[in-house]
Amino acid sequence: MEEERRFRCLRCGLEFTAVHRKDGEPVERVCPRCRSNSIRPTKEAKG
Amino acid sequence: MMDAGRHPRIKVLVSSEVIDVSGAVGNFHVKVRRRARYVQQDLCNSCAECTKVCPVIIPDEYQMGLASRKAIYIPFPQAVPSAYLINPEDCLGNNPIACGKCLEVCEQKCIDFDMRDEILEVDVGAMIVATGMEAYDPTEITEYGYSRYDNVITSMEFERLICAGGPSAGHFVRPSDGERPRRIGFIQCVGSRSSRYGSPYCSNICCMNTVKDTLLLADHYPDTDAKVFYMDIRAFGKGFEDLYLRSRSSGVRYIRGIPGEIEEDPQTKNLRVRVENTLAGELEQHELDMVVLSVGVRPRLDSNTVQRLLTLSRTSDGFFLEAHPKLKPVDAPTRGIFLAGCCESPKDVKDSVTQAGAAASHVQVLLSAGRIRIDAGTPLLEEADCIRCGRCAAVCPFHAIHWQRGGVPEIIEAACSGCGCCAAECPVDALTMRHSTDEQLKAQIDAILDEHPEDKLLTFACNWCSYAGGDTAGTARLQFPVHGRLVRTMCSARVSEDLILYAFEKGAPLVLVSGCHFADCHYINANRQTVTRVERAWDRLEKLGIRPERLHLEWISAAEGQKFAEVMRVLDEPRAQVTAEEIAHTRKVLAEERKRREGRKEKMRAAARKKREAAADARAESSAGAAASVAGPAKS
Repeated sequence: MEEERRFRCLRCGLEFTAVHRKDGEPVERVCPRCRSNSIRPTKEAKG
Repeated sequence: MMDAGRHPRIKVLVSSEVIDVSGAVGNFHVKVRRRARYVQQDLCNSCAECTKVCPVIIPDEYQMGLASRKAIYIPFPQAVPSAYLINPEDCLGNNPIACGKCLEVCEQKCIDFDMRDEILEVDVGAMIVATGMEAYDPTEITEYGYSRYDNVITSMEFERLICAGGPSAGHFVRPSDGERPRRIGFIQCVGSRSSRYGSPYCSNICCMNTVKDTLLLADHYPDTDAKVFYMDIRAFGKGFEDLYLRSRSSGVRYIRGIPGEIEEDPQTKNLRVRVENTLAGELEQHELDMVVLSVGVRPRLDSNTVQRLLTLSRTSDGFFLEAHPKLKPVDAPTRGIFLAGCCESPKDVKDSVTQAGAAASHVQVLLSAGRIRIDAGTPLLEEADCIRCGRCAAVCPFHAIHWQRGGVPEIIEAACSGCGCCAAECPVDALTMRHSTDEQLKAQIDAILDEHPEDKLLTFACNWCSYAGGDTAGTARLQFPVHGRLVRTMCSARVSEDLILYAFEKGAPLVLVSGCHFADCHYINANRQTVTRVERAWDRLEKLGIRPERLHLEWISAAEGQKFAEVMRVLDEPRAQVTAEEIAHTRKVLAEERKRREGRKEKMRAAARKKREAAADARAESSAGAAASVAGPAKS
């Protein structure tokens, strides 16, 4: 099952959206700007 | 195959699949489902009377659908055992028997429609995985019209057509009209080295397979006009360049350029191929009688199942991963399991045979020793502290910890490879990794941060990749700031949340956790747990008012000295920005948090202990009650 999730790079601060597969093989997260792997899923704002 | 079938110490289980594997090296227990073949193979003498009367005609898979077979058949001429079988999906029906003609003509009376699948259980000391590969299906490349144009075939179909045992008895003919093709084109890299179709990797075997095919054509039909459309010919290997030159000198024309499209003349069924000849710099059009698509190699579709059953690891391409590319090229990461052939990577017959020989030798070495040496760095369980939560078993990538709900985890040391993932996951520190204890790692952190901690970039580096990446950077004399200090762990998954917090508590301005890339993990997939733990640590830091940006995660392979140096360079700036006040605040907050954490752990241990004692009391009471009721009332 695929869903879009927001991530934040802890090196350069870039926030971006990437496809997240819940049931698939995990993939390495990479910042599209600085290529860092310190990518943190952002918490969804409480509605 | 015949030799293996006749060998007194080799048991060939055909039409069988492994459905469950348990145990560890030297002591695997394997369950195998042996499918019913509805023919008693010991009685069948392959007289073929049954297949003559069978009314079902379907495409023959072995002949790539270019010929037909019956519902009762021998899969291919050299099959072992040489006995017929009935495919129940093709047969008109055996329950009740709808046709039964084979049954009537069989003199040996070996057809048995009551046969059922069997479950066999076998104990083995080691296993070799040789599940092979699949050829790429080029139907999705609509430009080439495979399966739309009769005379566009794959290299696998070419093999059948030119084989003496093939559907045309070795007479090479066009599928459209049965005539011999005189102008043949081979298109290379179909489904290989492509980001659009198939796979991005080189399939290794296709170039030399085409060279071999052109030589076969030149030998059988010297007047054939053969053309090969290629990106570049990869003819590495003993004698391969000679073969390639022989093919060229025999008149085969090699054209550098991959055709963009194939068109069919609906009348003649001839094919027009347009290609840019990148050597001549010209756009060319070739009229051909037949086009052979040199298809690439893909991992088998059921690789996932095999991976799950045998606890294997796979590369990003989907092939099974060896334990080490140079030192253990035939060993799987799980001990006692070895790899051979194309299941590990695309390779030709010679390389497959070499790897199979090596795998068999490794098995011999393992089994003939009679005993195995286990890793020293295995976990030790303090039973009194264990809360029986089973988290250690859940994260073990080797399934080396057996746990049943409410029970004490049982560590199978022979199956353990010592990644330390379990010890890092244990919420009450009941597991200790021998030679990599928390105390030992904390002592290293203490030593690093003893003086001027604000100048240090504390880095947890996994033994196999990141630490070696640091070595590579050093031996290549790459320049990077001197502030990095490495704590070596066997796997990045050994780094617990507590260790990260401990480093911050001891004054580290920045902490880096580094490990292997996902596809390179030495411990199958343990580094996926690293991600989970680092994410948990980010959350915890944020809750405690500490900037999560001070904790970093990077995947650095042993070859990525450049990346290691770059990471050290890039992280030096945020390290320098952490102020003394921030570090002091962090230390204070985490010292208090540590006390709370220790308190929580002790409470969990005490609660579990109390629960166990209550359960033991209840058991004692019930057994005493049972004993009293058996004994009956005392006689007065």
